[in-house]
Amino acid sequence: MSVVFDGSPLKATQSSQSHTAQTQTGLSSQELSQEIKSFISGVDAAQGRKLSVREHARCAVRLLRSVPACREVVLEHLRGVYNEHVSAFLHSLETDGSSSSGGSSNLEDIIQEVHGVLSEFIGLNPRAWAPLVSAWAVDLLGQLSSKHAERRVAPHASSLNELLQLWMSCAATRSLMEAYSQCLAAMLAWCPDACVDALLDTSVKHSPHFDWVVAHIGSAFPGTIISRVLACGLKDYCSHGAKDQGLLGDKGSRVPKIGSVVGILGHLAAHHSESIRKELLRMFQESLTPSATLSSASSSASWESSPQLRRAAVPFLLQLAAMSPNLFGAVSAELVELLRPPVLLQLQALLQGLPREELDNLLGLAVHLISQSPSGGARVLRFLADTATPASVIISGPTPSPHEGVREGCDRLLQTLLLHLHKLVFNRSDGAEVSLLNPSSSQTQRVIPFLEELRSHVGQLCAETLRLERKRHLWLHQLLCLLSVYGGPSVATETLCQLLTQARNPEELALAWQLHTTLSSCMVGLIPAAVAHCVAQIHTHTLGPRQLRQLLLNLAAAIQSRDEEKGGAAGAQSSMAVQVGSAVSGHLHDFCSLLLHGDTAVSHAAVRLLSCSPLPRTSPPAHLLLLSRAAVTHFFLVLRRRGETGNVGRDGGQAAESVSCSVLLLSRLAAYSPLTLKAILQQLVEGALHRGNAHLFGGQIADMSGAPISSPSVSPDLGASLLDINCRFGTTVNFSGSIWSVFHGGVIGKGLKVRTDAQLLDPSVVTQNIQTLLAVIVQCCSSSGLNASRSPSDPDDPLPINAEAAKVVAVTLVENVCPDVANGELSWPPEEHARTTVERDIHIRRCFEAHPVLFPLLQVVAAGRPALCYCSAALRGLLATLLAHWEASREAAATDSPWHLQASCLLVCCMGEGQLLPPVLANVHEAFHLLTPFEVRLLLLAVWEYVRGNAPLPQKFAFSSEKGLFCRDFSRDGDVARYVAPIHSVLHKNIDRLGHLCWRFQL
Amino acid sequence: MGDIRQSLLPRDVLSAAKELLYHLDIYICNLVQSGRQPPQVDAKTLELVEEFILHAPKDRNAPARKMSALQELQLLEIMCSCFQEQSRDTVRQLMFSALFHIQGNQADESRMVLLGKLVSMAVAVGRVPILECAATWLQRTHRVYCVRLAQVLVDDYCSMVPGSVPTLQNIHSMSPRFCCQFITAVSTLYDLSSEELVPPLELLQMIVSWIQEDPRLVLITFLNTPLSGSQPISSLDVTPLGSLVRWCVKAPLAYRNEKKQVLANRSADSEPDPRPLFSALHLSVLQVFMLLPNVLNEKGLFGRLALLQMESVAALTSDLSRLLDQADKHAHTSAAGAQVPPQLALDRLAQALQVAMASGALLCSREDLRPICSRLPHNNLLQLVLSGPVMYYNNIHTPPLAYSPHAAHSPIASHAPLPTRSPHTPLTSHAQYPAQPFMSGMPFAFRPGH
Repeated sequence: MSVVFDGSPLKATQSSQSHTAQTQTGLSSQELSQEIKSFISGVDAAQGRKLSVREHARCAVRLLRSVPACREVVLEHLRGVYNEHVSAFLHSLETDGSSSSGGSSNLEDIIQEVHGVLSEFIGLNPRAWAPLVSAWAVDLLGQLSSKHAERRVAPHASSLNELLQLWMSCAATRSLMEAYSQCLAAMLAWCPDACVDALLDTSVKHSPHFDWVVAHIGSAFPGTIISRVLACGLKDYCSHGAKDQGLLGDKGSRVPKIGSVVGILGHLAAHHSESIRKELLRMFQESLTPSATLSSASSSASWESSPQLRRAAVPFLLQLAAMSPNLFGAVSAELVELLRPPVLLQLQALLQGLPREELDNLLGLAVHLISQSPSGGARVLRFLADTATPASVIISGPTPSPHEGVREGCDRLLQTLLLHLHKLVFNRSDGAEVSLLNPSSSQTQRVIPFLEELRSHVGQLCAETLRLERKRHLWLHQLLCLLSVYGGPSVATETLCQLLTQARNPEELALAWQLHTTLSSCMVGLIPAAVAHCVAQIHTHTLGPRQLRQLLLNLAAAIQSRDEEKGGAAGAQSSMAVQVGSAVSGHLHDFCSLLLHGDTAVSHAAVRLLSCSPLPRTSPPAHLLLLSRAAVTHFFLVLRRRGETGNVGRDGGQAAESVSCSVLLLSRLAAYSPLTLKAILQQLVEGALHRGNAHLFGGQIADMSGAPISSPSVSPDLGASLLDINCRFGTTVNFSGSIWSVFHGGVIGKGLKVRTDAQLLDPSVVTQNIQTLLAVIVQCCSSSGLNASRSPSDPDDPLPINAEAAKVVAVTLVENVCPDVANGELSWPPEEHARTTVERDIHIRRCFEAHPVLFPLLQVVAAGRPALCYCSAALRGLLATLLAHWEASREAAATDSPWHLQASCLLVCCMGEGQLLPPVLANVHEAFHLLTPFEVRLLLLAVWEYVRGNAPLPQKFAFSSEKGLFCRDFSRDGDVARYVAPIHSVLHKNIDRLGHLCWRFQL
Repeated sequence: MGDIRQSLLPRDVLSAAKELLYHLDIYICNLVQSGRQPPQVDAKTLELVEEFILHAPKDRNAPARKMSALQELQLLEIMCSCFQEQSRDTVRQLMFSALFHIQGNQADESRMVLLGKLVSMAVAVGRVPILECAATWLQRTHRVYCVRLAQVLVDDYCSMVPGSVPTLQNIHSMSPRFCCQFITAVSTLYDLSSEELVPPLELLQMIVSWIQEDPRLVLITFLNTPLSGSQPISSLDVTPLGSLVRWCVKAPLAYRNEKKQVLANRSADSEPDPRPLFSALHLSVLQVFMLLPNVLNEKGLFGRLALLQMESVAALTSDLSRLLDQADKHAHTSAAGAQVPPQLALDRLAQALQVAMASGALLCSREDLRPICSRLPHNNLLQLVLSGPVMYYNNIHTPPLAYSPHAAHSPIASHAPLPTRSPHTPLTSHAQYPAQPFMSGMPFAFRPGH
């Protein structure tokens, strides 16, 4: 029955044109069976010799063209051929192409032929051939690349580019790659999943060595490959997940494709990260879009059409992100932006359909992801907090209120996140303790990227926490705790510091204490560190004035809380207040510079802090001096400010409070140590007499040189003018103390030189200022270390002025009032000798004129007996000028020269108080205003005489323990009666007016 | 025979299979010689075949042995020569059925794969005995499997390997029986019900040329089979006539749908038009019908055996009415010429029914057909066929048999049937399909148009 086809003429041509396309009908069935036999045996059936590789391959190609049933065998055989070629190729590379280039080129043409046939077939019937060839090519590529990976010339699997270069220069692999690309291009139209599936499977099997294929294909078809790879992964994930639930035992045996999805996308991420991100986000978005609104354009094969796959998309993406930090990093930033309320609603609708355990899994996964996300954590956190915050109260942010279900979901997510972080953080710290032996190993794996990133956002977190919005601040506070524990002391102090800087009221400040309470269990020395950190910030000027002020006030409030709660049982807070106090006390010298801060609010806050802060137990003198200098300067500053602002308004109240704080600070500082006492007193006195401050106390800046100052606006520029200097007669050469005395009353023809006087302050202000200054000085003097222990028996009774302190004041006074130290001895010369010191005396008098505050100061000194002795020179000078005045005065009554009268009264009064004079002589001032100038001079002269006779020496004073004061026993001195005679004569002379005073002058 | 298993086990896959084939040959020879009726291969042997040739997993623990593609090819080659060399037809048949009879177990998958390859290879290398055996197999096997085998061949020769159609074409000369069965299977497979199930053009050309060359080809199975009434259930039909009629009738509608896409996809491609092929096929089918009375009379079966079952006609008409409804929906958009394909389909149906009834292939009366065709739209010829010649003369304007939407807007068709027949008119102009003269001996009840 079999038919001999008329193939005989063709048979002749067959052998010559073996690989032309006309073999299609060229072989008879007998020939074909011969062909099959020789293919199987590898022996030429006709000639009985062995077939070469090329001939065998040609035979295979012929079979491929004519016997459909043989195609698998042929492809199988061609694997060997390709492998052969690759081997030869690599070998020629290894031997520098010298030996066997002929062999490989021989095979190269057969490979070209095969490639031609295959691509012809694919072109003719892609549907039938593309799946077959693509699977074959991919598998063969996988085999080849992993088999020859160990060859010497093969670059390491990690160097993808070299690998790619090597394989693409090999004809066999290049041809396979081209064939696969062709198949892929053909198949993308109708079943792209299948070929990508194969790609993925192979990629899993030959993981590192196959990567170049994926990379090449991926970069050839980036858009499709990415989306296809994702779709494949999703499908696999979907079916895999379903299987997981069914039988768990099967889970381990099959490697899910997701691994290779991650690997491939990781590859492509190098060059196509943008499209990967877009694709991932698109997947996310489309999985949420309700199917009704889906455009019908999307093909039926795509995953969007299957509700099951759409539901699995979100878990899949999460899983993907969990497996690849790269991908996650790419998506996370934009994902948060995408989660607008409508999207959230869709997401919720989608997730509602999932079973409980799966939701829990997702939650866990999401939490894990967030905690592992290396960037964008702050944004995620803000998003979560925004969404989870109940919207009922006030508008919490720019986002409109989300749906309640969404809110609850976010709430839950956030809480789980916190719990998770809590576990991580505390387990971590356990581990860190255990692994002290090799800290490097464990430290790396304990990193929590989320917290790591938030470390730099501590400030924002603190600010948000302090907004005290409902639940939000609880979460954030918890997070801050975790962050602090995680980041260790540095973050903890940073956090605490931020809270301290940003809190604006006690409720907010309480958050800081709560944080501290939580952290104190696992961290020591937190508060000192935080304070030190704050101080560092002060030094680096990173804080603005407002923050600075807030920080200082908060610290002050913290310290003060101790005082307030002392009575109650506020254990934690008061102990913390103590800690803050001691910490601040260690940095007083750092804070003191803030007293002079340009911003009044800051300096106010600083003085508040310093005034309530305890003083350190020990402190280097330099710090103390610095502190006291700053405090004194600040004192004058606030006095001035008080004068400027008056007592009205907030500023006035603040200034007044500043003054009182300043006073408190000064007195406490003064009481701290003799050193500070001395420094403060000295500076106070100097300050009070300083040009800049003099007007505060009613002083007029006496221009001693007396040169006419033409106009105040010009004067500063003329500092270098020779004319000006020449005009200031007497200043260029100091004649004082010399035998010449030069007086300069003015330029002839222009009258007396004008006294430049500054604008005078309101007398009440002056009085107040003087009062304040005296109060400070008195307080300083009386609370000094010497008698601080002794409390007065009567609380109303003021503490006695300490002698040492008074001496300091006295010495300072003298230093400031007397221009030179000549004639500075304590004992007085005869009155006539005063003419040698006229110029100095006039200077002293002018001082007293210019600074009314000197008299009250003298009084203070006088009260601190025997300190007034040290003022001897000043007293003497003043008295000498007074004597000269009264002598020269031609007025009818002493009251006609009011200042001199007052000065004389005060001087004598002071000397009496200071027990330089016995009471009889000290009382003479009571009569002055009733006398004539000459009589006043007589009386003052008696005073002079007494002092000359009984030198005002401190050693004449003895401490009387019952009074707590130094007292002078006048009985030891010479007879007073001698000096009283002029008094009595004056009394007699004016008995009509002075009768009522007679008893004051009885011996 | 079961005792050789132990000796086969240690062998490698190929030699075990070879040896089993060898033993099987001997075993079946003995079986036939013993004269037992009917010769039956025992279950143990079948199991061995499944284990060592088909490599069905015997139990779960044993790893399934698998042949490489080369080994498989060798096995196929051995089988080919084994069947070729076996001279006795009975032995061959028994052996073939021992190897490839569908057992309804899990080995059937690999059995079908192997069979497909074997037959495909037999076609390529011209192993007639195998084709003969396969023809018998196609007669005895459930149509699902037959269709699969046909699918394998069509894939291999018409789509996979370009230019290999002539090889398949040869089966007509190699084994007409197999060819006939192949036509039956293929025409059953491609029932034009969807786009995938439209026969490839190469296949169609091949079948048309076969039948044109030898109309009796389609009857070969019927002629060679002793009609014992022992046809296996749901095996293929004895003749492909029913499914070929279906092809011809449905083709105008099916191809019309497909053609739109084809035109859209590749307009410049010189794809031959399938419509003349179906016309030629229709003519050939009608001619085969007209051969039938003689054949049936020879067998003494005229009027006793329906080669065209009433059920398949009913299925066809309902399919057709559904298709026409669809076409009607589309017709609103493409107005011009939309009526041509449906009328052509109806014309062909009417012709086929008329000739089949006349030739005794369809055993029914006009009255039986009327309810079946009641859903169809109006067609003059069909109405004539259903009503008979007398009614035509009496009332030419008889309303349609049943209400049909077509009647309303096809007055031209009903009044002037001639223009609608234009697709048939160029039939004679196709040189490659030479026109067949009408057989004058055939009594035509009515000749349309003449």
